[in-house]
Amino acid sequence: MDLGSLQRRYIDFTSALLREGILDGQFTQLQQLQDESNPDFVLEVVTLFFEDSEKLLNELSRTLEQQVVDFKKVDAHVHQLKGSSASIGAQKVKDVCMAFRNYCEEMNQEGCLNCLRQVKDQYLLVKNKLETLFMLEQQILAAGGSIPMMW
Amino acid sequence: MPDMSVGTSYASSKMESDRAPDKFPVGMKVLLVDDDLTCLTVVKRMLLNCQYDVTTCSEATKALSLLRENKHAFDLIISDVHMPDMDGFRLLELVGLEMDLPVIMMSVDTRVNVVMKGVSHGACDFLSKPVRMEELQNIWQHVVRRKLLDNKENEHSSSMEEGDGCRQVNDDSEYASTVNDGIDGSWRYQKKKRDTKDDDDADLDNADPSSSKKPRVVWSVELHQQFVNAVNQLGIDKAVPKRILELMNVPGLTRENVASHLQKFRLYLKRLSGVAHHHTGLNNPLCGVSSNVKVGQLGRLDFQALAASGQIPPQTLAALQDELLDCPSHSLGMPAVNQPVIQQSSIQGTNCVTFERGIAFGHPLLKGQAISSFPVWSSNNIGAVGASSNLREMNSSHNNNMLMTMLKPRDPHTVPSEPNHAINVQPSCLVTPTKSSNTFQAQRNSIILNQDSILVPSQSSSNFQAGNTVLPVIQDSVAITSQSSASLKAGNNAFSVNHRSTMFPSQPLTGISLGNGPGILNQTSIVLPSQQLNSSEAGNNCILLNQNPMSVPSQLLSTFQMEKNIIPVNHKTSLSNDSSFVNYNRLPARPNNIPSIMEQTLDGGSDNLCAINSYSVPVSVSSEVLSNTGNVAGWQLHPPDVNIGHPNGSLGLGPNSCNIQATDALLGILPDRGQGKGLGFVGKGTCLPSRFAVDDIEYPNNDLANTSAYSGDDGYILNQDICGINGVVQSGPCATTGFK
Repeated sequence: MDLGSLQRRYIDFTSALLREGILDGQFTQLQQLQDESNPDFVLEVVTLFFEDSEKLLNELSRTLEQQVVDFKKVDAHVHQLKGSSASIGAQKVKDVCMAFRNYCEEMNQEGCLNCLRQVKDQYLLVKNKLETLFMLEQQILAAGGSIPMMW
Repeated sequence: MPDMSVGTSYASSKMESDRAPDKFPVGMKVLLVDDDLTCLTVVKRMLLNCQYDVTTCSEATKALSLLRENKHAFDLIISDVHMPDMDGFRLLELVGLEMDLPVIMMSVDTRVNVVMKGVSHGACDFLSKPVRMEELQNIWQHVVRRKLLDNKENEHSSSMEEGDGCRQVNDDSEYASTVNDGIDGSWRYQKKKRDTKDDDDADLDNADPSSSKKPRVVWSVELHQQFVNAVNQLGIDKAVPKRILELMNVPGLTRENVASHLQKFRLYLKRLSGVAHHHTGLNNPLCGVSSNVKVGQLGRLDFQALAASGQIPPQTLAALQDELLDCPSHSLGMPAVNQPVIQQSSIQGTNCVTFERGIAFGHPLLKGQAISSFPVWSSNNIGAVGASSNLREMNSSHNNNMLMTMLKPRDPHTVPSEPNHAINVQPSCLVTPTKSSNTFQAQRNSIILNQDSILVPSQSSSNFQAGNTVLPVIQDSVAITSQSSASLKAGNNAFSVNHRSTMFPSQPLTGISLGNGPGILNQTSIVLPSQQLNSSEAGNNCILLNQNPMSVPSQLLSTFQMEKNIIPVNHKTSLSNDSSFVNYNRLPARPNNIPSIMEQTLDGGSDNLCAINSYSVPVSVSSEVLSNTGNVAGWQLHPPDVNIGHPNGSLGLGPNSCNIQATDALLGILPDRGQGKGLGFVGKGTCLPSRFAVDDIEYPNNDLANTSAYSGDDGYILNQDICGINGVVQSGPCATTGFK
């Protein structure tokens, strides 16, 4: 694919993500923070997010499957997940976390489990999208072009 | 004259090193605490983009121990609410109690009760995650506000603001005013704060209703001078109330008094530096300056003039002054130069500094140094720029002439990161700009500062006056000295000086103009007298050094040789209102030095006059340059005319038209930036106040010697160094004393 097409594709892809609410303005902020002196900033942060989230999701699964659920702990994890997803702009993940916290407060295990499933789905979705995005960026750079600024 | 490259490099190197601390909020030290690595990374990047200095910590306990090790390592803390090892609110509380630093909470949870808790525990702000860059750009306000509020805490302590919880706390919630009665932590917190603050009665503010019970400490010039000295000794960065108190050793003074005063002082410095910074980048030294700075008689600066010059708004200056000093006293002698003066000078200094280069001239002085208002002077007579001490920081390496130190020509940047910097005009020190010609300075800064014109402002001008030490205020600025003017900048005339010293007198000006133009250094002294100008610093022309305490006035002048003349600083000490011009002639053309009050009108062309108290030294303003308006107040230099012979044309004295009206102060106008060398003195013809030791310039030190010229004058001593002029103010290409 030629450079121009790659770039257009990138733009379309990113716009769609924003439109669908999978990513929000915070992600754009991260992109703005990236510059020549920090060329991999977004990748770095997103990678951290992936690592953290996976750990949290595992913990959540474990905690919620206990006989007696420690909702405080669950809440703490969800809170954490909410914070990190908000920091990178993973909007849908963050939204689910908000609902998740409510169930925790109500000590509603069923509700929590439900939310857990949703949050996992959203997480995987955003992860997948971001990976595609990075790949597109690499392709553009490899073709000698520069990544279009979305702001 | 060969170009003074020394000055330049000196200046620039100075700038490098001095740059960092002066640029608040750039470089503000933030401690970021969050267990979420993703968020930590993002926020850290954002803070770095705001040019803050960031330290991250993913554990609250670690953060606390870092803070306990050195609470001055950070200006502000940002912490997450939910952390595994310690609750964020608990950390908030502890920090407030132990270190009294502003803390901003952040969380993705923005429920009302959470925010409320933040408020009640004393958070000064609450950010919701995801944190946006725009929100972080203004967080430095909390650092500033805190200092301000601390002083007023007494007044606020009892005001509970209810309903604050309803909205996000995003503004300064003073500790004392958090809502909260029911919350233990906050309650205790408030109480503690209040108690501490109650004792703080060193009230420099005009209004302090709540501290009615405690005897108020009046921060007289002397007291302030001691304070400044102590701060300088400790280093502005390390000056803590307790140590300051110990050093001051004043019976009956409490730590709280000192703490409160210190805060004001820092804020003052900050403001000055802020102003100075503002002017940074002014390239045209002097010229830009409004030349009509009038120094009110007796050292009162003509704020208007200053304001006009744009340097520092009068109100600010006045306010600052008021703030720092309880009552301006014009005591001479004090290095601190009348306080008011000093303040002025300081303020001016700032102005000055900014002038041209924005030199932080003022700042440098202030920095840390607390401008000790010219401590130096005291020895000399001139209050010697005590400020030099201020400069201490800056100078540290300088000889300490006190003055010298002062002035390190700072590069304009100097904006001290701490508030302190900036010309602090310490009350004590200040050179009264008012007096002195500070007026010039400021505006002109020219003085120097920019090199060219140094005017030294007054500073010193203040001094001279009787008793006042003039200090040129400049201290940083001042004097135009340009303090540093250090002349900053390369090549510009430096005038140095001044810094602080500027001028004046006493201080050694180190004016040195850097590279450019001569400057006088005043540093301390410029010109004045006695101090030595170490001008020479930067290669630029320059200036004078006042070595002798000069005072230049009289002396100097002539000497400087070189092409540029330095101008002796003019101190304009007008002591007695009559301003005489001291014409320091520059030397080449006329050797005569003016000492003695000369009223010389400026000769066309080459002599810069420095007006010194009593004499107004005409900076070589061309011919008329100074018009002595009769006593006091200054003589006006008409800059444009003044041209000190330099080819450069721009006359040191305030850019051509400097009106130096310093009645008191010496106008150390040093016109001319030094060409070539950083003359400390004002350019050609400039009169250099006595003693400028100009490196290149051959100034007759001896001529200056001393002060002699005026000893009779009160205040003005040129010898006193106080010449307001520090060193030569050189405006224009003429030698300007470079102050360093």
